[in-house]
Amino acid sequence: MGILENKARARFFYKYLSRVYDRVNPFIWNEEMRTEALDLLDFDDEPRVLDVGCGTGFGTEGLLEHVDRVVALDQSPHQLQQAYGKFGKRGPVDFHLGDAERLPFASNTFDIVWSSGSIEYWPQPVRTLREIRRVLVPGGQVLVVGPNYPDHTITQKLADAIMLFYDEADADRMFTKAGFEDVEHVLMGPSYDPEVAITTVGRAPE
Amino acid sequence: MKESLLDVLCCPLDKHDLELEDAVGDDDVESGTLVCTECGERYPIEDGIPNLLPPDMREETPA
Repeated sequence: MGILENKARARFFYKYLSRVYDRVNPFIWNEEMRTEALDLLDFDDEPRVLDVGCGTGFGTEGLLEHVDRVVALDQSPHQLQQAYGKFGKRGPVDFHLGDAERLPFASNTFDIVWSSGSIEYWPQPVRTLREIRRVLVPGGQVLVVGPNYPDHTITQKLADAIMLFYDEADADRMFTKAGFEDVEHVLMGPSYDPEVAITTVGRAPE
Repeated sequence: MKESLLDVLCCPLDKHDLELEDAVGDDDVESGTLVCTECGERYPIEDGIPNLLPPDMREETPA
């Protein structure tokens, strides 16, 4: 288990990292990648959208290009503080402090659940993915962006020590085990590292 | 927090409905407490933001 998979440590880590997060983040997850990920979703008929682990609101900002309102959840008040700065507390985003693994939302609520840059901190990814399936309506779409497992041994060792990384086969296994159908993956990244992120989409069973 | 969102919120622990107590504000709830109708766990709404973190994940808040 990586260092940040412990939630208390993740909270502590983010308390300090949140100050620089938006400056660090674009190196692995930028606007072009966000657009590519958003294109994988179906935004017809004003879907109700949840952003799990919204952090500073980078993904939320992209979602708001497609829908008028987004429901967002994060466990870190310090990360959320950055998001409040962008959207306000009473703007187009309904913010909640909460735990991805124990979502405070009723079953069959959302048409789309988006989560970017959060799965690597989930202690039990399959359990959290099941929670996401629970809050999705039948046929609803999930999209998760996480770090793709690196090719190089040295980077792998670092990756294993810090947080969860996974490849397409791992993602297939996790999403299928969580009960999703039509699971597909797209590897994304900036030109200098084109496979740094893995984006997975799937649907809750009808 | 939009009062209308109460319909889609639930207790993160046992997924039962929440009841809003001591609400300040109408359509936009500024403060109050969300109480689980089953286990009685209480979740505060502060400055319009509901804190639905399970008790074991809440930060100690200064008095």
